[in-house]
Amino acid sequence: MFLIGFLYLASQSVKKIIEINPYMLGTMAGGAADCQFWHRNLGIKCRLHELANKRRISVSGASKLLANMLYSYRGMGLSVGTMIAGWDETGPGLYYVDNEGGRLKGDRFSVGSGSPYAYGVLDSGYKFDMSVEEASELARRSIYHATFRDGASGGVASVYHVGPNGWTKLSGDDVGELHYHYYPVPPAIAEQVMEEAAAE
Amino acid sequence: MSVELLQLGSTAIGVKTKEGVVLAVEKRITSPLLEPSSVEKIMEIDDHIGCAMSGLIADARTLVEHARVETQNHRFSYGEPMTVESTTQALCDLALRFGEGDEESMSRPFGVSLLIAGHDENGPSLYYTDPSGTFWQCNAKAIGSGSEGADSSLQEQFNKDLSLSEAETIAVSILKQVMEEKVTPNNVDIAKVAPAYHLYTPQEVEAVISRL
Repeated sequence: MFLIGFLYLASQSVKKIIEINPYMLGTMAGGAADCQFWHRNLGIKCRLHELANKRRISVSGASKLLANMLYSYRGMGLSVGTMIAGWDETGPGLYYVDNEGGRLKGDRFSVGSGSPYAYGVLDSGYKFDMSVEEASELARRSIYHATFRDGASGGVASVYHVGPNGWTKLSGDDVGELHYHYYPVPPAIAEQVMEEAAAE
Repeated sequence: MSVELLQLGSTAIGVKTKEGVVLAVEKRITSPLLEPSSVEKIMEIDDHIGCAMSGLIADARTLVEHARVETQNHRFSYGEPMTVESTTQALCDLALRFGEGDEESMSRPFGVSLLIAGHDENGPSLYYTDPSGTFWQCNAKAIGSGSEGADSSLQEQFNKDLSLSEAETIAVSILKQVMEEKVTPNNVDIAKVAPAYHLYTPQEVEAVISRL
């Protein structure tokens, strides 16, 4: 289970994955301020739920709280396309929630302007029982391909893993560098000769 | 009248040490049919604050709920935990909203006093609140029916260099003195804030009782 989310920004250094609490993450797409604020607000509600019920809120419950909140502001111009990812008693949970009040449960989602490109890579490579390494590489590759083709996507591809003990950040790679990692430039003949000459 | 009600409430004791604060309460299980784990007289307000209650427990629930919302709102607005004193003040602000007059006022004062134990940038702290809305910071305090005897025992046994486990032992031994029933893991609750809130499991309570 993994996350993919990205958006066009004036700054390349904005954190697009929001830490709601130590075992739940939210992704940011749409309006950055809206996403940040409502995720932090969701964090309060999750904590109050924990205190009142003496157990953690489920991912389903948390995403429902957010979806209901966004629905009550429907039509008022909020821009939020987010995924809530976490781990609860039923195992891993991933929900897509947006500003229209829509909420979908799924195994994989891609959100944002580059998402069609990402879905191509994601859907063809996905298997439910893939390992964490395979999943994180698939996620990274999907984001990279979206940033390659979509002018409004770019920056850093961050990959996080959410497991039974909470989330950890796995990697954060600049997509410009990822390009050369996936498609290395073969050295030109002149350069090759120079290298061989220098090695002798 | 609410102050007299407090004299009938179950005893609760708080002891502050350099390592943290200990709270111990008498659960007062009135019938063998009563489920002991459902009697909650120490509650968590936030990661770093807990409170013990004595008197009208239902009133205390309202206050704890209010404190929880206040501490979370503070975290949301300022990005940091609320200090223990501010939390206590926020609780006491509710206490005087009774009488006739505007619609928001209550019909009677809260009939409960609280021991708020917490840890913030000033270190561990213990506050005592009563229905008047006043609060005092204490090194050790007892509230409820056994409070007079317990307070004087605390005065004798407390010193500033107690360790947390010595404070646990003192709190529970004083409870034993003022309680009518024998102390068991089912009729006593212990919690500490050192520096995070933790409510003891029955096994941990048993371990403290066996040290008496």
